[in-house]
Amino acid sequence: MDVTEYIKLVFTDYTLRTITLGTAILGAVCGMLGSFAVLRKQSLLGDAISHAALPGITIAFLITGAKDSNILLLGALLSGLVGTFWIRGIISKTHLKSDTALGLILSLFFGFGMLLLTFIQKQPNANQAGLDKYLFGQAATLVESDVWLMAIVTSICLFVLLLFWKEFKILLFDADYTKTLGFNTKFIDILITTFIVLAIVLGLQTVGVVLMSAMLLAPAAAARQWTNRLGTMVIIAALFGAFSGVFGTAISASQNNLSTGPVIVIVAGFFVLISFIFSPSRGLLFKQIRFIKNRRDLQLHKTLSFMYHIAETHEDITHPHTIKILNNFQGYTKGTLQKLADKHYVTLSDGNWSLTEEGFKTASNLYNQQNDNNE
Amino acid sequence: MDKKKIPVSAGRIAVKVDDLTVAYNYKPVLWDIDLEIPEGVLMAIVGPNGAGKSTLIKSILGILKPIAGSVSIYNQPYEKQRSLVAYVPQKGSVDWDFPTTALDVVMMGTYGSLGWIKRPGQKEKKAALEALEKVGMLPFKGRQISQLSGGQQQRIFLARALVQNASIYFMDEPFQGVDATTEIAIINILKELRKAGKTVIVVHHDLQTVPEYFDWVTFLNVKKIATGPVKDIFNDDNLTKTYGINYKVSIQE
Amino acid sequence: MSSAQIEIQLIASVVAIACAIPGTFLVLRKMAMISDAISHSILPGIVIGFFITQDLNSPLLIFLAALTGIITVVLVEYIQKTGLVKEDTAIGLVFPTLFSIGVILIAKNANDVHLDVDAVLLGELAFAPFDRLLIAGADVGPKALWVIGSILIISVILLIAFFKELKVSTFDKGLAASLGFSPAIIHYGLMGVSSITTVGAFDAVGAILVVALMIAPAATAYLLTTNLKHMLIYAICFGVFSAISGYWLAHSLDASIAGSITTMLGLLFLAVYLFAPTKGVIAVMYREKQQRTEVSLLTFLLHLRNHTEERERHVNHLNEHINWQKVRSKTVLDLALKNNMIKFDKNIVSLTEKGNNFTSQAIDYIITNEDSKIEHMKEDFFLFRG
Repeated sequence: MDVTEYIKLVFTDYTLRTITLGTAILGAVCGMLGSFAVLRKQSLLGDAISHAALPGITIAFLITGAKDSNILLLGALLSGLVGTFWIRGIISKTHLKSDTALGLILSLFFGFGMLLLTFIQKQPNANQAGLDKYLFGQAATLVESDVWLMAIVTSICLFVLLLFWKEFKILLFDADYTKTLGFNTKFIDILITTFIVLAIVLGLQTVGVVLMSAMLLAPAAAARQWTNRLGTMVIIAALFGAFSGVFGTAISASQNNLSTGPVIVIVAGFFVLISFIFSPSRGLLFKQIRFIKNRRDLQLHKTLSFMYHIAETHEDITHPHTIKILNNFQGYTKGTLQKLADKHYVTLSDGNWSLTEEGFKTASNLYNQQNDNNE
Repeated sequence: MDKKKIPVSAGRIAVKVDDLTVAYNYKPVLWDIDLEIPEGVLMAIVGPNGAGKSTLIKSILGILKPIAGSVSIYNQPYEKQRSLVAYVPQKGSVDWDFPTTALDVVMMGTYGSLGWIKRPGQKEKKAALEALEKVGMLPFKGRQISQLSGGQQQRIFLARALVQNASIYFMDEPFQGVDATTEIAIINILKELRKAGKTVIVVHHDLQTVPEYFDWVTFLNVKKIATGPVKDIFNDDNLTKTYGINYKVSIQE
Repeated sequence: MSSAQIEIQLIASVVAIACAIPGTFLVLRKMAMISDAISHSILPGIVIGFFITQDLNSPLLIFLAALTGIITVVLVEYIQKTGLVKEDTAIGLVFPTLFSIGVILIAKNANDVHLDVDAVLLGELAFAPFDRLLIAGADVGPKALWVIGSILIISVILLIAFFKELKVSTFDKGLAASLGFSPAIIHYGLMGVSSITTVGAFDAVGAILVVALMIAPAATAYLLTTNLKHMLIYAICFGVFSAISGYWLAHSLDASIAGSITTMLGLLFLAVYLFAPTKGVIAVMYREKQQRTEVSLLTFLLHLRNHTEERERHVNHLNEHINWQKVRSKTVLDLALKNNMIKFDKNIVSLTEKGNNFTSQAIDYIITNEDSKIEHMKEDFFLFRG
């Protein structure tokens, strides 16, 4: 199946439409909330939470014996929250640092989840098959009710985000100051954290615990490069997330044997790469170009100030000198000389150069500026 | 703002700190501080590193929870008088790479009076622009905050506090890491605030500029050493009590 | 116990020891999450290595995978240096992407690669004894044991040889550089050892358990001691204990060995987290409660000394001005009375001579922060310990 065929199918095939819609919504909500996680420097919290959700899923299954995905997600939500608050407990009550606390909760909860998962798989219960989709996610198992759940959670999330926008923004930027204005910072903080956990749990079925954190981070990290406004960043992140979901699903559906989760993550990673390189204000490419341009300017200035020193010794500053005397000077090339001529700083006539009034003035300004800087 | 709460008569106590004790991780930082700050002074809090200067204003503002003691603003508990108090945190306490503009940061000063959920409107924007004008940062209103110099960032913080239109201003090292022009600009604004009858409390590092900038001073080193008018108490005796015998060295720093 | 069972426990224990050594330094250097990143991002290295060698235990594969681990670290550091995103976001971006590439490589070549992603993530320790190393036709033991054993020996040699350098660079980077040890070499050396250990261990126990075995024993040990040598020894003991007890847990539940070992590590950590004598949560909470009372007492004494006026020393003042709840002020009063530091005179409290001396000493200590002045007070007072 190639891509055009796929696009046709999206509009005709019910299953594919459901899946595409699901991953798009998921990408959008993750992008939105991921922006907050990234700005709060809690990027890796997502990784820990998603791993910590696994025992919740298995325990929920053990208790209810049913594979109702809503109940399993509720279990995931609870154990994700337990993990989050335990991480905070470890950081505040012991001298272990945040990275250790994250790594601990991540691996210990996941290991415990695996113990239960393998335990369940050995049980003679026909119902258990498919729990391991939560490891890497299987978008193919998304059904309409899952998508509805995602849509509802996303709308609630969007509503709360708009309602408390101002409070979220100021808490993210300056928590102490927020407190002095009389806001209950603990409440805002718990609200943000809960929604981040919710988004992660929502994505487990589609992307899986292992890769969920990338889903949260990548769109936000990419979006940050394109804007200097929080609102725009959240919108762009949501778009990047949604596109990652749609493209990822499309690619994995049009190829054999590709699970959706990893493909979505790679697409999102690609967005990040593009943003890192090509973003106009922060991107590496333009930074490099600016750097080279500055270096060229510097060479030009060097040549000009060298000329200035020569011209200074003459009463008539426009007195011509032979080009040859520049040969010993490093910053000089034919190109730079021509450029100086183009800028009307010098005039050239058969093997001789002479500074113009304008050139002399510019050079003396440069010279003074340098002296100022040295002081 | 509620005008009735602001007393008109001079000579009243703006901030009263009673038996304030703060311990960080149960290590003592401030001990039994009693402090009365009269209305309309421009006061410096000085003391060596680790003396608890920032801790003092943070616990007055309720950012840190004291073990004992109470704070009152114009004879009422601080919680009831928040709208009368503005705070300028240390510049280094926030992430300046945050995606927001100078104007946006200054607008945050209006959030307190807006309360929950309500968004800033034209009135708030106008106030923010005026504050930016006052600190000479109007041309930079749309600038992303990481693209401002240290001094400009400090001015933005000051503008944010000015927008609150408070009676009492607490500032944590506003002169740290700023250029000479900004330092003069800031001190002029502080002096203007005093002229307008506001009370300004500044955590200050540079002992040499105390007599020039301030009219009131508090010496602090875990305990309160002395407080009063600069011309009366800013002397070798108190400096030695606060900084130890080597205080001259700390002046040079 | 069958010989396969013994061999499994032996492999698990050796893996635990091999992980605990770099793990201790990772925890101390606040780089625990880097081990998580490495354990995921070596997947493409393993897959490519497997294409070439068709053998999961080949040295070339281990080398290639370890190289991917180093590349991860370099890439993370490069992204951090660009300043485009905050520190930990770089880690969170790099490893899922590399891991995804690995998963897709496996999926696209499913016919050629007999690699199961689940096995990579979780390992299959139960099968480890069946892959034997044959030298000249003679069976010398499971391959996995030889691989991880060699890695362990190498890291022990490196540990002994560079112990001093590692210690200095971990606790004081500046000092290390001024003594002439390059922090960069130590850093990348440690990253290299961590990567190789991860690769060697991960065939047996899987990516997630490698992380658990690196971080959990070291973190647990760190709650019990701050002495580096003791920490290493404790971490190794915890690792081996969990490996063996985890095996038997898995045996009785018929569940994943890797999952069971991690669960044992988790229980061990939970126990130490709660009950560690000085740094456990219960001890910390008890101490904080004590200190709160003691700080309150000192505050109270200091207050009495600072104020001569009777109004300030009236019993009711404690509640009104110092702003304490009734219960606490009563505890404080009782404590002060019991120690003969205060006396009552018609509801007016004043310091006794003993109380006065005590307060002066306390103030001296607080202001100068000199430990010598307080030695004898430490006996009674939590506040001044540590």
